[in-house]
Amino acid sequence: MSQETKTFVVTRFDPDKDEVPKTQSYEIPVEGDWKILDALNYIKDEVDPTLSHRWSCRMAVCGSCGMNVNGEPKLTCKDPVSNYGDTVEVAPLSNFPVVRDLVVELEGFMEKFKAVKPWIVVAKERAVEEGTTRQSPDELADFKQFSMCINCMLCYAACPVVSNEPDFIGPAALALGHRYNQDTRDEGAPERNEIFRDEGGVFSCSFANECSEVCPKKVNPAGAIQQAKLRNVLDWAASFVVKRGGKES
Amino acid sequence: MKTLMLKLEPIIWGLFSGGMMVGGILLPVFVLVVGLGGGFGAVDGQALGYDRIQALATHPIGSLLLLAAMALPLWGGAHHLRHLWIDLGGLKSDGLVGALCYGVALVGSLVAILAVFRLHG
Ligand code: FES
Repeated sequence: MSQETKTFVVTRFDPDKDEVPKTQSYEIPVEGDWKILDALNYIKDEVDPTLSHRWSCRMAVCGSCGMNVNGEPKLTCKDPVSNYGDTVEVAPLSNFPVVRDLVVELEGFMEKFKAVKPWIVVAKERAVEEGTTRQSPDELADFKQFSMCINCMLCYAACPVVSNEPDFIGPAALALGHRYNQDTRDEGAPERNEIFRDEGGVFSCSFANECSEVCPKKVNPAGAIQQAKLRNVLDWAASFVVKRGGKES
Repeated sequence: MKTLMLKLEPIIWGLFSGGMMVGGILLPVFVLVVGLGGGFGAVDGQALGYDRIQALATHPIGSLLLLAAMALPLWGGAHHLRHLWIDLGGLKSDGLVGALCYGVALVGSLVAILAVFRLHG
């Protein structure tokens, strides 16, 4: 396996000592098949144990290793070192408060997720005796892609609206809400649409499409949000024809 | 102003997406056919004669299309400008800028309605 050295310019921040983040350079040997995460782990294990970064699965499933690599939000366990030149900058994801070094605060993000009720909402729970709920492949296809999100938050780091409007619910959460609206088993669309139409909802999105560009799972949150906008327009138009029952829930 | 805009957001976005559709797809084709097609002889000049166009424009469907072609792109542009302003960091003045953008689109739409009405006069 080919071996070369690369310099990693890593953002460091210790809330107890630092006023502002600073950078630290590490020149390390890298293997040809390494991902950025392998390099960070090497630095932590062999060079500087004080470096803090988050990761778990190393196979693009858990969504915890998102960072800005050369300024772009990347899943570091999936991002090959060979894609970069001799110097690679690694920084925490933009648009999030930093806890330490490369670790960002997730609290606000989790709240936004809860806001869209990302679960099946039904007026009456189905009894087990009633058997399974049937769903056709076409009905599944209407939302399957939107359910592939691993909550890595790269889309929040990439979104220009997130950086401008702190209250914007954001790509991943809106796409997830839309995923449930599209699900034939769900009855919660009227409730969710009210949240979608409110401040920070789907209409705050200016369709920059950056979220879909950076998504490592090809969820296409931007597409989901545009679909949700259209659904809200149709809903709004339909509300003149039929009175809806969703209001008093 | 902000709450009003929030309330109206579905209509505004509907007009905006209609405007993008008309401005992005229909108008170029229209310009191609009427503007260039006639000039280059690809479209029969007779077909674009005054009487025929007049009849087309005063037909209810023709009038509606004409109105859409004039008014909808204004909403597309207004919505785009407002969001550009927000993306450039102008969220604080969104109420004012939004009202201004949509105000111009509204006035333009009224003028368009008036113009189409006068065709029938
Ligand atoms: S470590 Fe789990 S997604 Fe990268």
